[in-house]
Amino acid sequence: MACTVRIASPLRSYTNGAAATDASGATIGEVLADLDRRFPGMRFRMIDEQNRIRPHIRLFVNTQAAGDLSAPVRTGDVVHLICALSGG
Amino acid sequence: MFLTPSELERYQRHLSLAEVGQAGQEKLKRARVVVIGAGGLGSPSALYLAASGVGTLGIVDCDRVDVTNLQRQILFATADVGRAKAEVARERLSALNPEIRVIAHDVELRATNIRDVLKDYDIVLDGTDRMATRYLVNDACVMLGKSLVSAAIHRFEGQALTYVPDRGPCYRCLFPEPPAAGTVPSCADAGVLGVLPGVLGGIQATEAIKLIVGTGDSLIGRLMTYDALAMRFQEFQFARRMDCAVCGDRPTITALRDPPEVCSPEALSRVRRLTPAQLQSMLAGSDAAMLALIDVREPREFAVDHLAGARNIPVGEMSRRVAEIPRGVTPVFICRSGSRSLTACAVALNSGFAAPAHLEGGLLAWAKQAQRDNTRFEVADLA
Repeated sequence: MACTVRIASPLRSYTNGAAATDASGATIGEVLADLDRRFPGMRFRMIDEQNRIRPHIRLFVNTQAAGDLSAPVRTGDVVHLICALSGG
Repeated sequence: MFLTPSELERYQRHLSLAEVGQAGQEKLKRARVVVIGAGGLGSPSALYLAASGVGTLGIVDCDRVDVTNLQRQILFATADVGRAKAEVARERLSALNPEIRVIAHDVELRATNIRDVLKDYDIVLDGTDRMATRYLVNDACVMLGKSLVSAAIHRFEGQALTYVPDRGPCYRCLFPEPPAAGTVPSCADAGVLGVLPGVLGGIQATEAIKLIVGTGDSLIGRLMTYDALAMRFQEFQFARRMDCAVCGDRPTITALRDPPEVCSPEALSRVRRLTPAQLQSMLAGSDAAMLALIDVREPREFAVDHLAGARNIPVGEMSRRVAEIPRGVTPVFICRSGSRSLTACAVALNSGFAAPAHLEGGLLAWAKQAQRDNTRFEVADLA
């Protein structure tokens, strides 16, 4: 499954500044694994050692929140990696 | 609360709107709104709320105006540099609209004083630049039954949401816990497009005014994001979590507390703040072996240039890697601007280092010093 991933700006240090990239996978977990192969270390910023989404990160498939890594991703979906921001 | 003849004239363009009208304007006059942080977000939101006739407007900020604020914090003028932000804001907003009451709160919000600050207001606008304060404000709003319009910015990107008691999810339902210390950079570290908070602060003021007047749809249960580079607004649905620690069915946070990554002022006073010249002289002296230079930037930044002998432990990994720092030496934490390094000091203090040090002003200050010494140091930009 090929999808587009939109990347929150605090995570773009891993993608050489790219705001979006293509990725493949049938679930959020597979999409993040694909990203991590190309951008090593990126997954750990979002997913902890127990495979839980970190509490200051939310992952959305299109506009719906993904509760865990098993959330399905279909061809053409847009996965959004959202971070809590702190600037004011 | 009736409008005076001068108010009827001033707010004429609101009175022409059926959705606001005289009844709505009178609600605005009765409204009590507090803006947390007179910064990039608080500047435009407070200006619009004052101009719109919000009758009681509180401004909370304990900082002084710095020249680097002026690129985006439009409440302030160059002549205000060095003055208390809350007080300057009070003057500016009162001058804009003498019909309203503006209250300056020149205090740092903590668990111990936030109830007292918020108790006389109905709506809270959060524009703080500190993650810990963001969670404290959310928890206080849930516990005190206040509506909250929250926004945050980073580089070219912003996000906003609205919480109304008993009508939808709170900030913790979206992001249950703050990130590990220092993993989310501040504006000082990451940079921010000056006009960006104008958009987000404008959204916050709009949300507050609609809540007061009782019109339109609010950002309740919707996260709105804005990407200035792509010029794209998006929104994402999120729901109240039954297991939310503060607004859930069985809350575990029942008393206000400062989130753990906030290092106490007493502890931070033990941090040794080194100027570039001081660090340079220590590195050249006989005690150099007693220092451990720890560069807490991201590996990509470290790769561009770093101080000789420095070891790279990104601040986000500091909690789990602090044991790699040898005991018996003084760790000197280094980052780009001196913000992440201070966070690393807090982690080190919590891990038992008695007196960690950090490079005040970071490598940006070091590079300036290097320039004066006719040497060169390249500081990587953030992504």
